[in-house]
Amino acid sequence: MSLSYKSATAYVFADIFDEYIYTPPPAPASPPSTPSSSLTPPPVPASQSDTPPTVLEVPLGTLIECLNIFGTAGAGASGAKHKKWRKAGDDDGDAHDDEGHGGRIENFFGPAGGEKRTGMRLSYAGEGHPLTLLVLEDAAGPTATCEITTYDAEPHLELPFDAEQTALKIILKSSWLRDALSELDPSSDKLTFIGNPPTAHGTNTTAARTAARATAKPMLRIQAVGSFGSTEMDYPNDREVLETFECTRTVSFSYRYSNITRAIRALQHSTKTSLRIDEEGLLSLQFLMPSPKPRGGTSDAFIEFRCLPLDEDI
Amino acid sequence: MRFRASIENVHTFHRIIQTVEKLQKKCIIKFTETEIHIICNTDESGVQIWSQIRVVSLFTDYRIQSNANNEISLALATDALSQALRSAAAHSGAEEIVMKLAKKRDVAVLSFEIFGASRMGRRVKVAHDVRIEVLKPADVARLKEPLCPEPDIHILLPPLLKLRTIVDRLRPLADVIAVRANGSGKLQISAATESAKMDVVWEGCANPRMAQEGLSQGVPDGEQNDIDKRDPKQMFSVLVHVRSFLKFLNAHVVSTTTIACICQNHCMILYVYIGDVADAGGVLTFYIPAVLDD
Repeated sequence: MSLSYKSATAYVFADIFDEYIYTPPPAPASPPSTPSSSLTPPPVPASQSDTPPTVLEVPLGTLIECLNIFGTAGAGASGAKHKKWRKAGDDDGDAHDDEGHGGRIENFFGPAGGEKRTGMRLSYAGEGHPLTLLVLEDAAGPTATCEITTYDAEPHLELPFDAEQTALKIILKSSWLRDALSELDPSSDKLTFIGNPPTAHGTNTTAARTAARATAKPMLRIQAVGSFGSTEMDYPNDREVLETFECTRTVSFSYRYSNITRAIRALQHSTKTSLRIDEEGLLSLQFLMPSPKPRGGTSDAFIEFRCLPLDEDI
Repeated sequence: MRFRASIENVHTFHRIIQTVEKLQKKCIIKFTETEIHIICNTDESGVQIWSQIRVVSLFTDYRIQSNANNEISLALATDALSQALRSAAAHSGAEEIVMKLAKKRDVAVLSFEIFGASRMGRRVKVAHDVRIEVLKPADVARLKEPLCPEPDIHILLPPLLKLRTIVDRLRPLADVIAVRANGSGKLQISAATESAKMDVVWEGCANPRMAQEGLSQGVPDGEQNDIDKRDPKQMFSVLVHVRSFLKFLNAHVVSTTTIACICQNHCMILYVYIGDVADAGGVLTFYIPAVLDD
């Protein structure tokens, strides 16, 4: 049952694509809730933000295999080595995009030092149509066309996070959290996040700070308990480590370790992490993903995991 | 029955056996005066290998003698042979590697003797004996290559390692893939299942005109003309098991040039050339039976 206690969402913004064309699906002819006589003119099409988004479901494993069909799109080194993917014969492209949203992704993660990168065009013509990927490695190489069967989206578990009810909010460099989690014994059962309000200390001398640190409760403690023992890790009260720390009262919630490990892949590839826990113990982990190219002003893609706490009474 | 040879090109020989090892636990090797034939024809997937390698491309100082037209055929375990060759290939400084037929404690073996020097400069001899079963000429005569109709199309494949990466991705999605090719250099590999439909297309592959020599099944002149008259855009296809195709793709360790032939709805034949095509030291011929669509 633990499967249903978490959800994950990746937010990818349109400008990660070189081209992004989205045509909202036509609104239903006559919504049953608003009876209108045939004499009244049809309602003005709602603006894009009002229309329901296009939702579709595809088998994730298949999508990943398709994206990496040439073996060069895998998660590799991030950052610096992104190169413009040149493509000849791009003229006929627009025909594909008439109906659905289309776009060509700049390949983001090529193998370190490798010359070739996978690029792709993704299109979806609407309900009942497959999700079509055109994957290319370079202009001279083979082309792969993948049509992935789409399904009507099943309702997903919604775990709404109420920002008003935030009990603990931390922003830190992902590597700090990644290193901590990688230290844990993989056989751990339970992971506990403990947050304490920061203790005020006006002193600036290092010695005084060290002393304060020794006596004060740790601002953030990660505790793992498993059948072979337990681990505790404390984060220091240091802006270098915890860039943002908001906590009004002592918070302690436990999560199933296996649920948290699901987020580790995303954590490893991210640059910054926002960790929030609300009054009910709902955990929200947001991982900021490195962007493939410099972007102006818009926010970066991120992946969010939400997870319900373990019931301490059981 | 006498047989002795020095292995000159141990890396190539090792790679050939590695390819064979992945297909079958046992194989048949037939040594003749000029060629060595490696045959695998009992794999349950139906994939067969019939290969002929020129003696001069692997061996020097090659001596063979038998009552059966100076041919010796034997069956042996591929992994044992592969291990012996791996050991020989690892001795980079080996002065000589001798392979000979021997009898030890009443058991026929193919004995490999590796002469080299230790790091201290002392002479070292490492010997491996691979147990073999010598086949009777009558049994060997019964071995027959699979009969195939005239191939519909010949096409030069892209590098096998590249191809293998792609086919590896298809494996979790489908059991059977379609291989299609036409006379204008187009090669297509497709898989279709409930969850996805995938097509990988290469353009600009060469369509070799088949020269007769070196191939086990040549094209008579008259039919070559027929082939030329056909529509070059017409695609010929064959369905094969992904696993069978991957077994063939293990040959990427030896391959330089590979020609695929498609006999529509019948089989695929793949000629993996060892060394340069112009001066091919040999060819591994793979036969992959088609999966018939009901």
